[in-house]
Amino acid sequence: MLNSRFIRRELTSSPQQSIILVLCVALSMVTLVSLGGFSESVDSSLLRDARALHAGDIIVHSNYDLSSPLSEAISSLRRKGMIDAVRVYEFYSLVRAPDREGSILGDLKVVETGYPFYGTVELRSGRSFRDTLQKGGIIVEENLLGRLGLKVGDRVKIGSATLTILDVVTKEPDRPVNIFSLGPRIFISAEDLNEIDLVKKGSRVMYKALLKVHDERDLETVAADLSKTAMKGQEHVETFKTSESRIKRFFDNLLFFMSLIGIFTLLLAGIGIQSALTSFLREREKTVAIMKALGGTGRFITSNFAVIVSILGITGTILGLLISFSLQGFFPVLFRGILPGDVVPVISWSAVLQGIALGVMVVALFTFLPLYRLEDVKPASILGREEIRSKRGLLYYSVFAAALILSTVMVVWRFGEVKTGLYFVSGTIALIIISSLGAEFILLFMKKADVRSLALRQAFRGLFRPGNSTRAIIITLTASLTVISAIYLIELNLDADFIRSYPADAPNLFFLDIQPSQKDEFARTLGIKTEYYPVVRARIASINGEPVNPQDEQRRVGDDLTREFNLTYRDYLLSDEKIIKGKGLYMDGWDGLQVSVLDTVLKMRGLKIGDSITFNIQGVPLEARVSSIRTRIKASIQPFFYFVFPEKSLMDAPQTIFSAVRVEKERIPGLQNLMVSRFPNVSAIDMTEMVSLFSRVMGRLSVIARFFTLFGVVAGVLIVISSVLATRYARIQEAVYFKILGARSTFVLTVFALENIILGIVSAIFALIFAQVATWIVCKKVLEIPFTLFTGTSLIIILSAIFLATTTGLLASISVLRQRPVIFLREETKE
Amino acid sequence: MRVFINRCRVIWLSLFLLTPMLFAMNGCQKKESRKERPKYDGTIVAAGDSLTAGLYVLENEAYPAQLEKRLLGDGYRYRVINAGNSGETSSGLLSRMKWILSMKPDIVIIETGANDGFRGVDPELTRKNIEGAVRILKSSGVTVVLAKMQIVQNLGKEYTEAFKAIYPAVAKKEGIIMTPFYLEGVAGNPDLNEPDGIHPTAAGYRIVVDNIYSSVIEAIKREKASHQPHSNSSVPE
Repeated sequence: MLNSRFIRRELTSSPQQSIILVLCVALSMVTLVSLGGFSESVDSSLLRDARALHAGDIIVHSNYDLSSPLSEAISSLRRKGMIDAVRVYEFYSLVRAPDREGSILGDLKVVETGYPFYGTVELRSGRSFRDTLQKGGIIVEENLLGRLGLKVGDRVKIGSATLTILDVVTKEPDRPVNIFSLGPRIFISAEDLNEIDLVKKGSRVMYKALLKVHDERDLETVAADLSKTAMKGQEHVETFKTSESRIKRFFDNLLFFMSLIGIFTLLLAGIGIQSALTSFLREREKTVAIMKALGGTGRFITSNFAVIVSILGITGTILGLLISFSLQGFFPVLFRGILPGDVVPVISWSAVLQGIALGVMVVALFTFLPLYRLEDVKPASILGREEIRSKRGLLYYSVFAAALILSTVMVVWRFGEVKTGLYFVSGTIALIIISSLGAEFILLFMKKADVRSLALRQAFRGLFRPGNSTRAIIITLTASLTVISAIYLIELNLDADFIRSYPADAPNLFFLDIQPSQKDEFARTLGIKTEYYPVVRARIASINGEPVNPQDEQRRVGDDLTREFNLTYRDYLLSDEKIIKGKGLYMDGWDGLQVSVLDTVLKMRGLKIGDSITFNIQGVPLEARVSSIRTRIKASIQPFFYFVFPEKSLMDAPQTIFSAVRVEKERIPGLQNLMVSRFPNVSAIDMTEMVSLFSRVMGRLSVIARFFTLFGVVAGVLIVISSVLATRYARIQEAVYFKILGARSTFVLTVFALENIILGIVSAIFALIFAQVATWIVCKKVLEIPFTLFTGTSLIIILSAIFLATTTGLLASISVLRQRPVIFLREETKE
Repeated sequence: MRVFINRCRVIWLSLFLLTPMLFAMNGCQKKESRKERPKYDGTIVAAGDSLTAGLYVLENEAYPAQLEKRLLGDGYRYRVINAGNSGETSSGLLSRMKWILSMKPDIVIIETGANDGFRGVDPELTRKNIEGAVRILKSSGVTVVLAKMQIVQNLGKEYTEAFKAIYPAVAKKEGIIMTPFYLEGVAGNPDLNEPDGIHPTAAGYRIVVDNIYSSVIEAIKREKASHQPHSNSSVPE
């Protein structure tokens, strides 16, 4: 049945489409394997690092000393050899140099030997934490040395003991990144607990027990057993997997985004495969017609072509795998520093198998229909240029349905969530339908359009040439451009949300509790120009006369109206605010108090201009009318206030002021000492650690996202090339006829260029609209981050898309132009 | 990532007014339907931090509301205004004396210092602030009750002792009433405190009211005594 010579010949003739097909398959392989493998390894590394982030497998904590049942349960597990456990005590205390006045608040952590079970506490000397910390000694953060004017080797009075500074800690694995610390870290050995005599009844201490499970499989059972023994509401047992942390949520977002890119790219690759396959087989139609005329059976044709396509598919698969493996070496470089630990991107064999299985299925499904179409090729088409009308029979529709179901399953599986997956698939289908409708509309317009310029008219007509499949190209281009633009726009929005929240110049030193009477002198002493934010604490008593009912509000999920709010006053908008309702912050000509409300409040209670809110400002009621609604246009480090009043009205209300500046890390201890000594009621909080960690991590995110967007772009380029190549033959014909009729090469070029430009413009505009919609949905509903339009970038995207379509089209057509009419005609007639 | 769906809000028209202070005192008066309410003989302002404001509990469970109820039950018709401000230090309290005076209190209960302690503020400063606040109140004819506070032991013996000494020192110097330890019988008891171990529950605040009650009664007596001459005079108020 199979003819190897035939197969070989078909494979080598018209290599362009074959290559594109192979590349598309390879791309899908790479996407599945690399991205899939990456997400899996990130997940497992995250778990590994979650351990480090908690310094243990199980964390037991309470504000009171652990109850006897719980302690006994832990001891018994220890005796059985199932776990290792260390006790940790965290609390604040005042420390000072033994012979001097002037104490500062230190953030103490008393640990038993064995801490930390995971992750490392890094010391400036490079020595191991476990070997260095011992009875009688402490390990401190650099800031303490600066504040107290001490160095390593000096002694510090802590509680009833005097301890020696042994070393400086530079990195702590389980320091929560989003917690304000009121003072520098001090590590103390648990052997000095009695000496310092600070942990006792009447103390505010976070009591912890960190557990390491010897056999990983015991993790859940041990945690569950301990939970049963723990006192409800007071003692908490968590595993490193369950602990909520800001970092974990950030990575959830990141991983979701990556899977999104993965799916998008797969989609693109699928479109590419479909497009390349269709073109590939369509080019063979003449050949098939001849075969049929010579008596070749449908089965012969189908099976041979099936083999051909399979060979191409397998080549693509192997190529894809090879690229994935080589990329594996590149990944560590890219992701270094982003994850708190070492991410080891592994090629997970499950991802490979997934990839192969999927690749086979996709190619098979996508091939089936075009192959099937071949059966309808009539021998008579050798002679004429017949449009092959294929029967849209039951088989056609069932294959179509199967493809749809398969894609849906794949998407849902990737997302891990049925609802999101279904939304995605329905969205994609909607996208395709709307693009088709849009394409039809445009084509209709072009048909009817009466254009003066010859080149443009030819270009329009050219789009309708038989076999041009303009419709298909527009849909394909639109779909791919939508996907690429959406990925890029979502990434930009993620960028804006995370990264600009912590810009490089984010303040790292915060001052709290500045009294109004101190403000001027404070500003003078500080000597650094910065913003001062007045804060007035108040509750909401009633809205439009209706009292705020605590029972109802607290039942609501999320923010609630019964809590205390921070009011502020100013007569200007902050740089990251914008008025969305109202003429300005405040209304002229209104009597009485006014207040500008942030749109987040509207999530708790609908409000409109003119509504009245009665605040309870520490006992004094104040009624104000809503004068405007504001929104934040970008997430930033600046504080945001739900309620803003005109300066005059709240100036005399009881308030404190806070401020924040950015200074070099070395200056901080000195500045803290200066300000606190002059203004002892002010707390100066050093946020350098947290700010720099975040901006570093977030900065890397954009690199990763852009890298994976590249995948999408590659797919898109392949598709464009494929589409253009699909029409190559017809273009050659046209070029020849134009030349015969006396046209210059420039004219032909112009016509082709215009064609491509039109295609590009139509697709790009549709694509951008869809992309913005998709981005909006993803940002608002899924990632829950603010959405920005990015008009500038959008324009660039449109222009690049048009440029890409045109250039690729032209490049592919250049060889067409070189065709000398005579040769072509001669060769034509030879066939 | 889950799609977070906001539930519909059902707004209940509540008939009972949460706090007596809705009867505005600053001139922005609305004609509100007044229930049958007793006429007050005087005003007590409970000024303080979250231990007054009642962080984590409903406003009618915090100590000022409970105190008012108890006073009423014993025949003392005093409105108790909750002027607590969570997170406030003694410096903040000092800064807002004018605001407190605008409520025209007869008695002010000062409960402050805890946040100074948590931030490691010099006890000398706390003492100065409280003294300043007391002086301002006294010069306006207000009877002052100072809640005796203690701070957590982990801050170190030196600090906790100095902190503890603030209140008796101020009370003695200024000749004002000082309550027993505000959190006597409450502090450190997991059954009477919220999970954070610092803020009392509603039941905890009941004991707080027990602790300060006799001091409040004494303040009422003093305040009445200081007004006696005035009520007999012919000078119009």
